[in-house]
Amino acid sequence: MSQQTFLYHSKVQDLLNNVQKVIIGKSEVTTLSVVALLAQGHVLLEDVPGVGKTMLVRTLAKSLDCEFKRIQFTPDLLPSDVTGVSIYNPKDMQFEFRPGPLLGNIVLADEINRTSPKTQSALLEGMEEHHVTVDGDTMELKRPFFVMATQNPIEYEGTYPLPEAQLDRFLLKLQMGYPTEQEEMEMLQLVSSNHPIDDVEAMMTKEELIQMQEEVKGVHVNQSIQHYIVQLTSATRQLDSVYLGVSPRGSIALMKAAKAYAYIQGRGYVIPDDVKYLAPFVLSHRIILTNEAKYERTTATSLIHSLLERISIPIGKI
Amino acid sequence: MDPLWHTKRQWIYESFIYLCGFLLFMEWLYPLRQITDTEYVSAFIIYSAFCFIISFLRVPWYIGSPLKMIGLAFVVDQLFMTEPFLSSSWLFAIKDQLRYNWDMIMGLRFDQITPFFRSILFLVLLWLMSYLLYYWFVVVKRIHFFVILTFVYVTVLDTFTVFDGKASVIRVFLISLIVMGVSSIMKELKDEEITVAHKRLFKGWMYPLVMFILGATILGYASPKLTSQWPDPVPFIQSATEGLDGSNEKVQKVGYGTNDEQLGGSFIQDNTLVFQVAAEEEHYWRIETKDFYTGKGWINAEEGRFQSFDPDEVLPIQTFNQENVETEKRTATVLMIDKASFTKLVYPYGIERVNQSGAMSYNVNATTNVIQPMRNGRTVRVGSYEIDYNQPSYSYQQLQQASEEDPLDIEEQYTQLPESLPNRVENLARNLVEEEDNRYDKAKAIEEHFATSAFRYDTEDVPVPEEEEDYVDQFLFDSQVGYCDNYSSSMVVMLRSVGIPARWAKGFTGGERIDSATGDDGKAYTIYEVKSENAHSWVEVYFPQIGWVPFEPTKGFGNHTEFYTDEIDEEEREEVTEELKEKLNEEEQEKPELQQLEEELSDEKEEETSGTLLRNRVLVFILIIAVVTSIALYVYRFPLMRMYYRRRFLRNPNASTFTDSYFFLMKVAAAKLKIKRNKGQTLREYAMEIDRYFQSNQMSRLTHQYERLLYNRNEQNLPWDEVTELWEDLINKTLS
Repeated sequence: MSQQTFLYHSKVQDLLNNVQKVIIGKSEVTTLSVVALLAQGHVLLEDVPGVGKTMLVRTLAKSLDCEFKRIQFTPDLLPSDVTGVSIYNPKDMQFEFRPGPLLGNIVLADEINRTSPKTQSALLEGMEEHHVTVDGDTMELKRPFFVMATQNPIEYEGTYPLPEAQLDRFLLKLQMGYPTEQEEMEMLQLVSSNHPIDDVEAMMTKEELIQMQEEVKGVHVNQSIQHYIVQLTSATRQLDSVYLGVSPRGSIALMKAAKAYAYIQGRGYVIPDDVKYLAPFVLSHRIILTNEAKYERTTATSLIHSLLERISIPIGKI
Repeated sequence: MDPLWHTKRQWIYESFIYLCGFLLFMEWLYPLRQITDTEYVSAFIIYSAFCFIISFLRVPWYIGSPLKMIGLAFVVDQLFMTEPFLSSSWLFAIKDQLRYNWDMIMGLRFDQITPFFRSILFLVLLWLMSYLLYYWFVVVKRIHFFVILTFVYVTVLDTFTVFDGKASVIRVFLISLIVMGVSSIMKELKDEEITVAHKRLFKGWMYPLVMFILGATILGYASPKLTSQWPDPVPFIQSATEGLDGSNEKVQKVGYGTNDEQLGGSFIQDNTLVFQVAAEEEHYWRIETKDFYTGKGWINAEEGRFQSFDPDEVLPIQTFNQENVETEKRTATVLMIDKASFTKLVYPYGIERVNQSGAMSYNVNATTNVIQPMRNGRTVRVGSYEIDYNQPSYSYQQLQQASEEDPLDIEEQYTQLPESLPNRVENLARNLVEEEDNRYDKAKAIEEHFATSAFRYDTEDVPVPEEEEDYVDQFLFDSQVGYCDNYSSSMVVMLRSVGIPARWAKGFTGGERIDSATGDDGKAYTIYEVKSENAHSWVEVYFPQIGWVPFEPTKGFGNHTEFYTDEIDEEEREEVTEELKEKLNEEEQEKPELQQLEEELSDEKEEETSGTLLRNRVLVFILIIAVVTSIALYVYRFPLMRMYYRRRFLRNPNASTFTDSYFFLMKVAAAKLKIKRNKGQTLREYAMEIDRYFQSNQMSRLTHQYERLLYNRNEQNLPWDEVTELWEDLINKTLS
């Protein structure tokens, strides 16, 4: 273990165990969600309905003793439905602000691609800027603030695909995937009496989570690792099959995520393995492929994997 | 602390094993004197002993290496340098030498490498060997390889060279049995963790071992042996390589060399141009003389002292008394072609002064008559120079009438003979001079003995004297075939045996006339070309009041020294005329022989030369050892490196040690386990691959520590004991 002492680190494992009591067999997604949570980033879950996206978010929220809000995005949703609205109170003869769901701690933005770009941008502004503007007043969002957005890759009709610039706002893009038969059986047994989510207890307070986020910032990233990250992201900009490569924001995201991941492992420093593991999740939604590449069924993830094979890991000396 | 050093017994055992290794290595050095022209074998032996001791004492390298370096410099200084040890001129001379040799190596002119440089190479090799053997014998305890190599070496030398390996084989056999016996006993004790009391160790193990070894040796030595089961391969090999034949002799390349300790053997012609000279007349070019006959060849009893002289100063090389010998002033210009080999001047009899722009002074050795040109206190190679000399001509009468009362020191120095010289040499000489009443005639009588048809001039088919044989005796009575060294040495020895002071002179014959020119002084000069094959040796006989007079016993060579007859009375004139007639007759007799000789030698030049040993032999020998060493170093590179890193870990476990040894481990794993890290593979992934191979988690644990070092900030306090242990375990597993 590292010499660096993390006061709250022991809670991470508790949190993960707690979530895994409910979410069967999805330890990777669970861990990555916690990575995003600790790195103060947000997650885009892209998967078919019914694989437990909502359940994951709810369990997380419950384990954290945080305020959980859910926004179901529909085409007719207005920005004020997300951020909140000022309503005239005839009694006081004053406008009174009714906070929208965005002002919770953990927000599930379900089917984010179903709403109009105007509403999407209200959400995304909040995610990026950590404040919202309602009626000319700017309001700070709560801390911790964690958005998990989902989108359904199957139905395209009546959807407003997220612009690339906005995808960039998500730290990670994850897929849940179906459980294995074994896991599904387990799941059935688990829910047969009453739903385990009801038994989930809070493992830590909001304050503790904020402390953990602060501790993550203290994780050391060696210069050689930074160089490795930059090599990786700049290599995406030089690929023939890529129309638009990873932006510097992507490099920062990768570093932040790697720090959180190292923290989860109880390590006070980032190693190349962290970067290598996280790169597909952090970078794949930040790459726009050329049409030719798409025709050839190249995916951003496979491109990143091939880059990871090619770029030298810093190992001290050549 | 190294666990190997825990017990005193271990230490004694290791000393013993290493000592045996040293003795075996000595068997490699002993034959050098015989098979190469290595003059200073004892120096090499002492130096290797020195290196072995330092290696064994395990002094840290930063003390050991400088010590060995100083030892090396000291040996080089003793062997080659005239400058004060480690002075600036000394360093300059060394630098000069090194640069010159480097150029020669770069130019692939290996034959031009000087003895100085070859010796340095050889010493470095000894240094390496001391370490390698230490590693083989003490550290990994693998003795067999070197034992077998030693056997191969000795037997090959015995088969293909003059070296007689009989005693050597027995010694090697004994030593290797002892060392292998002791080492296997100790290995057994260690592996089985048997602890035996000192007494019981001897009673139970050592005595039987000694008995067994002695028994085996005696049995092996005494038991009847089969004759060779297949024909001697040597004649076949030699007949397959042209120009050499199957007798037991060495073949040399002809040329001027400094080592004449081991004369004999055939040589091949070498017509490399050595120098050109413009002179009015053809005469011999002298370089040095030697005074001590060993029974096998020539050395100098005393090295003599060098005295420095300025250019244009008269040099003290007085071979004759100018007052009693008629001389003629002459000038000759010498242009050395082969600059590298010569730091000595070639000069004619009667040399007075040397004019050369290059040298600042000349070091002259009055004992050996060597002249070395010097610049800034260092010997320099000779370019071209002009010599003023007084060409002597001797009067027959004067020579015949010269007294025979030699100064004591001359008599003492120049009538030396080895005690081993067989009596029949002296008997023959006495017979020859019996009827002569003066020194000149005696010398002449002996000189003429070689003109008889019993003697044949040849450069091939010349035998090398056996261990107990005398070089001169062999030539005079057994072979009667030879070249200048045989003739001149025999004449000197015979003269000495009848009490006439004589010495052995070396240099070059006049060479081949190629051109003529008119000098600035209007005189007609002839240009001669002197080649390696013109190297020659002849005889100088001392005459009181006159000095040293050259004689030429070698068949087919004429004495270019001028002799003249005084105005004399009738009686004497008759005598002289008769003598001259005789001489003419002899010369006539000589001529057909000469022609015959020329035919024999066909396209080779008839001039034979002083047989010097093929210089390249030492080089070849060094090369062989170097190749063997490199192969061994290559084969054992990983264990050697392991030892190196292990020591680093023990001494100074720090980040750079860890990094280097971790990389070394990866390199070994790539080579031995064929597990190579791809550049995109993280250390952890790689470590897991290795661990999967070994079914352990050691590599991952080591890698975690390495990651801390590498990626964490200012990581200093790693658990070094654990790291060292993990690394050692892993490297041992990988290498085994």
